[in-house]
Amino acid sequence: MAQNIRTVAEINEKIRKGDAVILTASEMEELVKSEGAHVAANEVDVVTTGTFGAMCSSGAVINIGHTDPPIKIDRAWINNVEICHPGAAVDLYIGATLMDPNRAFEYGGGHIIEELIRGNEVELRATAYGTDCYPRTRLETRITKDDLNQFYLIDFRNGYQRYNCATNSRNDTIYTYMGKLLPNYGNATFSGSGSLNPLCNDPDFETIGLGTRIFLGGGQGYIIGEGTQHDPETGFGTMMDRGDCKRMSPEYIRGAAVSGYGTSMYVGIGVPIPILNEGLAEKTGITDQEIFTNIVDYGVPRRERPRLRKISYAELKSGQIVVNDRTVKASPLSSLKGAEKIASTLKEWIEHAEFYLTSPVERLPQKATLNPAKQEAVIPFVEGLTRAAVTCTEENTVEEVAKLIIERSVNHIIVVDSQGLLQGIVTSWDITRAVANGVKGLREIITRKVVSAFPNEPVEVAARKLSQHNISALPVVDTKWKVLGIITAEDISKLIVR
Amino acid sequence: MARILLTFSDKQIYEPITSQVILESGVPVNILSANVTPRGGEILAEIEGRDVDKVLTAFKKRGITVSVQRKIEVDRDKCIDCGSCYSLCPVNAIAFEPDRTVVFDVEKCVACALCVDTCPTRAIRL
Repeated sequence: MAQNIRTVAEINEKIRKGDAVILTASEMEELVKSEGAHVAANEVDVVTTGTFGAMCSSGAVINIGHTDPPIKIDRAWINNVEICHPGAAVDLYIGATLMDPNRAFEYGGGHIIEELIRGNEVELRATAYGTDCYPRTRLETRITKDDLNQFYLIDFRNGYQRYNCATNSRNDTIYTYMGKLLPNYGNATFSGSGSLNPLCNDPDFETIGLGTRIFLGGGQGYIIGEGTQHDPETGFGTMMDRGDCKRMSPEYIRGAAVSGYGTSMYVGIGVPIPILNEGLAEKTGITDQEIFTNIVDYGVPRRERPRLRKISYAELKSGQIVVNDRTVKASPLSSLKGAEKIASTLKEWIEHAEFYLTSPVERLPQKATLNPAKQEAVIPFVEGLTRAAVTCTEENTVEEVAKLIIERSVNHIIVVDSQGLLQGIVTSWDITRAVANGVKGLREIITRKVVSAFPNEPVEVAARKLSQHNISALPVVDTKWKVLGIITAEDISKLIVR
Repeated sequence: MARILLTFSDKQIYEPITSQVILESGVPVNILSANVTPRGGEILAEIEGRDVDKVLTAFKKRGITVSVQRKIEVDRDKCIDCGSCYSLCPVNAIAFEPDRTVVFDVEKCVACALCVDTCPTRAIRL
């Protein structure tokens, strides 16, 4: 660590007098580029950062006060969203990803938190089993934030230092937590504010940790430690934080609907970095060219998704990126305008002595282990359930295929070419219909757009494809579309009763 | 570009009306999708914005029901300028200003609706 040239106490004294020099991370980047880190370190006291993105591991704890007669809540709903009840009688936790079953993927915990911050009234319903000390079993009421004793944002994981860039290899559109991904690598999405991101500006966590005062949701909050899945050694640091929602603004706390994935919440966070030494000036001068992440294929729904290549935030923010030799557009999922505004707002607060810096009681850990979940059962793969496919070619007649179906007692015939590559599929239902309509040639009835499975896919992924497309079998193919066999709904159901 | 939806009755489908309109107006009509059955049909087509009137008149003269497809509407109070929609737009109607404000060029919009369900704050409507 470089020799310190000033302390947080000295900076706070300058803030009090109105003498402190504050720059946003973007302004600092320019200064370090033009004048160098040495000059920047001498001139600048604080650099402000910002990020405004969807942060699913967020939520708010509320205490609604005691009823008369008292209730020990067992289950509770706000605006029809079932709320977690982790604590004693009347404490509730509104997780951002909880959803209203009647408005699934559209309205959830994040929206409730936003509404409460806006001052809107929400409908609370609760049930309980009744005890000698808490006899009440039902509660129905309407509340606003003013009716709550405490209303605190407590986020388990916020402000990822950087995140994956997502794309999709499949031949259909998928809806993920990284947004809507078009088929055949048709677009990409990325998250995070790059050079404006708080942790990117102090990657060794010299000034960030438990007790660091921050901009949180338009109010002042605190970092309360590292976030879950904190993985600083690979550049994926995270933070856990807390702030008083009653002082927050709906401009920086927004409920979000992520189609096909669920609900979430946009959280605005800004961390001030005190420039205690030249090293911190250098680090806060970081540019988007120096921050890298990976383009990851979200078409493969596994824990380890295939990585396509490394990419810088500079390329991502340009809006056009090259994926597999093709230029496609990349959507930021985080609001870069919002991030810049947060950094500027925090700068103004400090300039007007409305915000003072703190030294962390304990710094965020620089090392952490990120283990996968312990799974006791072995997960089955498509490979293990693949059986030999009964195939035909386009030259076959309807009659020939009908015979094949009877002889081999199957419902699906896979159409292949002379190399055994997948051309289509014909079912016993297609044949029945062809016979009823007097169709003789097979070509007219082949389904050409076939949903297929790969041998290394978990069976659960194949089962999801069956149910999403309302079909009962998938040809199993290799990456060159050579047919290796077939997996059927019948075989998958046997796995469940086994 | 403007999108128009042409609705043909069961009697009108046997006439080469679209070809006649193209020849008469001299305007290229880009057919995006067509669904014609013996009971009638619908054609979704795209034409250059400045030629809309000429083409509409020519179709109407032949008794075809024409409706101009709506374009996206953006609720600026809801929009947080995240740009989730940006990469979905096939006609580059969505762009960023230098200060990272997301801007929508409604003239370019072809009402494909790809962006609508990507908006996390549901600020885009068709």
